Amino acid sequence: MTACETAEIPLAEVKFEPKDRAGVINPMYDCQPAGAQFAGIGVTDSIPLVHGGQGCSMFVRLLFAQHFKENFDIASTSLHEESAVFGGTKRVEEGVMVLAKRYPNLRVIPIITTCSTEVIGDDIEGTINVCNRALKKEFPDRKIYLAPVHTPSFKGSQVSGYDECVASIVKTIAKKGKPHDGVNLFPGWVNPGDISLLKHYMKEMDVEATFFMDTESFDSPMLPDKSIQTHGNTTVEHIQDSANAKATFALARYEGASAGEYLRDQFEVPHYLVNTPYGIKNTDDMLRKISEVTGKAIPESLVHERGLALDALADLAHMFFANKKVAIYGHPDLVIGLAEFCLEVELEPVLLLIGDDQGSKYKKDPRIKALKERVHFPMEIIHNADLWELEKRITSGELKLDLIMGHSKGRYIAIYNNIPMVRVGFPTFDRAGLYRKPTVGYRGAMELGEAIANALFAHMEYNKDKEWILNTW
Amino acid sequence: MPMVLLSCDSAIPERQKHIYLKAPDEDTREYLPVSNAATIPGTLSERGCAFCGAKLVIGGVLKDTIQMIHGPIGCAYDTWHTKRYPTDNGHFNMKYVWSTDMKESHIVFGGEKRLEKSMHEAFDEMPDIKRMIVYTTCPTALIGDDVKAVAKKVMQDRPDVDIFTVECPGFSGVSQSKGHHVLNIGWINEKVGTLDAEITSDYTMNFIGDFNIQGDTQLLQTYWDRLGIQVIGHFTGNASYDDLRKMHKAQLNVVNCARSSGYIANELKKQYGIPRLDIDSWGFSYMAEGIRKICAFFGIEERGEKLIEEEFAIWKPKLDWYKERLQGTRMAIWTGGPRLWHWTKSVEDDLGVQVVAMSSKFGHEEDFEKVIARGQEGTYYIDDGNELEFFEIIDLVKPDVIFTGPRVGELVKKLHIPYVNGHAYHNGPYMGFEGFVNLARDMYNAVHNPLKHLAGIDIRVAESNTADQYARAEANPVYQRFFDNPNQASGNDSLMRVAG
Repeated sequence: MTACETAEIPLAEVKFEPKDRAGVINPMYDCQPAGAQFAGIGVTDSIPLVHGGQGCSMFVRLLFAQHFKENFDIASTSLHEESAVFGGTKRVEEGVMVLAKRYPNLRVIPIITTCSTEVIGDDIEGTINVCNRALKKEFPDRKIYLAPVHTPSFKGSQVSGYDECVASIVKTIAKKGKPHDGVNLFPGWVNPGDISLLKHYMKEMDVEATFFMDTESFDSPMLPDKSIQTHGNTTVEHIQDSANAKATFALARYEGASAGEYLRDQFEVPHYLVNTPYGIKNTDDMLRKISEVTGKAIPESLVHERGLALDALADLAHMFFANKKVAIYGHPDLVIGLAEFCLEVELEPVLLLIGDDQGSKYKKDPRIKALKERVHFPMEIIHNADLWELEKRITSGELKLDLIMGHSKGRYIAIYNNIPMVRVGFPTFDRAGLYRKPTVGYRGAMELGEAIANALFAHMEYNKDKEWILNTW
Repeated sequence: MPMVLLSCDSAIPERQKHIYLKAPDEDTREYLPVSNAATIPGTLSERGCAFCGAKLVIGGVLKDTIQMIHGPIGCAYDTWHTKRYPTDNGHFNMKYVWSTDMKESHIVFGGEKRLEKSMHEAFDEMPDIKRMIVYTTCPTALIGDDVKAVAKKVMQDRPDVDIFTVECPGFSGVSQSKGHHVLNIGWINEKVGTLDAEITSDYTMNFIGDFNIQGDTQLLQTYWDRLGIQVIGHFTGNASYDDLRKMHKAQLNVVNCARSSGYIANELKKQYGIPRLDIDSWGFSYMAEGIRKICAFFGIEERGEKLIEEEFAIWKPKLDWYKERLQGTRMAIWTGGPRLWHWTKSVEDDLGVQVVAMSSKFGHEEDFEKVIARGQEGTYYIDDGNELEFFEIIDLVKPDVIFTGPRVGELVKKLHIPYVNGHAYHNGPYMGFEGFVNLARDMYNAVHNPLKHLAGIDIRVAESNTADQYARAEANPVYQRFFDNPNQASGNDSLMRVAG
């Protein structure tokens, strides 16, 4: 921690600009098909089939394994030269049939395109019709849903790819039936620990909620019978019934909300987009909105949990966090939410980095407008950003940071510039067990706050920098 | 024994040609698994793509070179943070990756301008770096961007830089193997012979096909230093771009990984008359044999014997300590290809370990010839094994430990089988004498992990039924292994503590 600083009152200007380079040095996100694969494994009995080169799925499986320390099943059409010349739809047909034959419980195959197969122009919808006929003939008693997921890598990023695949799966499977009192909850790209916490909140509120996608079992046990329970928990029935829910709540503007909009437009399910619940106020808003729509009261137990979080954070905020300068990078819903949380605990998020080419969308994000009105210090928001934007501001001396918050791909910036870092987002492969810890909700705010404090404390100790402050606390 | 059709493959009977169970008195050539053939779509193969074979395996190892990937962002993102190949200059190669971040407009109008701009930016942002490799990817190859012309133009604009281009999009070939080939041949034809080497020893060689995984190259370099042999180029562990332009100046090419890098050794022989000597750098006995062959070539046998004697004095007792305890361990190897034949005989001879199943992602026919010749009878030899086959093979051979990648490692953990990272290692290096003791230690620690036994206990079942399992867990006292760290040991101190 730096020497006791007097709070300055600089001009509170918020810049919102794209990075000024064309190329990328150290990307923050993977490409669209990667995000689509993450959505595709969230469904029970689903094996995504990635239509492209083998690397497009093999490395993404490795990425998920690095983050969750689990294996996930994702197939490839293994595109080769002849497909590049003559088209690859035959390989999709073969892939679908091989999967159906070898995996008797398989019920969903998201067919995920890549840059190569989009450039070739393979007709995925037409191929799905061919496959459906072949499946019906070969397996008259089975129904396997084939969802077309168009995710050319040269558009958007893993964020939009995730959104696209969730939407495509819902479009393929949702169907009108008997209305029910449950709600659809689209949590966005979060961890099993977040899903567990959100489920707990819904249970406390007596709200029957279905999660799209329910990834709670991406944290799965070693069992005496050696069974493998690493799979998505959102079933075909859940997805079918999403059309009949009382309401949809989307917690992430860019990750899954399109599916909610589809359910609204197609099946008249009311759609509510709430701020991603990072921090106290965003969680308040989410719970209040759910309470208002469902008519279920917010119970005492959640008032208690909220109080615990406030109690813990109050010990940290003005004593340790105030005036500390933070850079945050990662998914836009995460970064914006964390910035709002930082302001609650008096941290100063001076640099926000969000990636990909969707700048025109981010520009209109009301949360960014609200941040601009709220901050009392200069803030820079870079979109279409890469991690070099962060690194060069630090190495040039232009930016003095007390903390970095982001995923593991930026680890070397923190390590080699001796800046404390809290891993958050995706992927966080260089710290143990983070997928199990909530970051959303009151408990997430509390645990994040404590992780920040402990990172700062450890840094003070390693650097012998006022380590004696904690002589008494 | 004919080729094996596993029951999980009943719907894809052509897989029978890829799986061989070695039996006594067979002409093994008759039963070579079909390899280097296209994967059946939808099988959940382990294979990567040709682009990664070039970038991630070979080019990306270089310690002073910008790796400019001309394509959408994923190809760069995915070939970053997946390897453990440090360098002696602060791991520049692992810290950064570069992409032209190609967008739809470039698909429509061409990406050459985008590439040129990205190349200049990269050099501008990192002014100390003067070398670059440009890779094409699936979409840039499909639209036909002329990356060679762009590289030429940038080199004209910047006389102090040198740029190499690799054109092997992910869809080319059937696996990463194609990328190895393209990079090898491109490099020898375009870059070798463009710089002169300063010769500091009477004995010079290239060391080909080792990628400094967890310091392999750096460990072996201490041997070459002690032998007084100058290594002109390491292809490509801890190497600089310019080292590899001087490879034509060596007297001998020593090849470890023949699969990924045998091509350049062959070309160096053809084009420059430099002989090729294949050795195995993994394995205690193999390493000694390799050193003897190299020293025999240079006529410095005495130096070699002295080195081997010194190394044996330090490491052989430690190796034997593990050998005694690993005797009869059943091991599976599911890696790229060459490690199958590098390891199967060495773990058998040096550690008493039985290799019961092996699967290769991208090995060719010659790799299977070697591994089947070296491997045991009753062992399965699999080309391009897939997930369901792995489950079935595990049931058939019941391995105690599997050397494979981290993702498959997570999978077999659920089956209570420990894995050791067969690609990036657990705690390497694994090459050389010291390295093979590291491998033995990691295998021992994996096999004797008490958690594996605890995982098999069902706490709902009465204790009498599980007591033996608790006993098995406790029979492997953890303290022994905590004390025994050959890396930190000087002499036999730590070993004595364990043995004592």
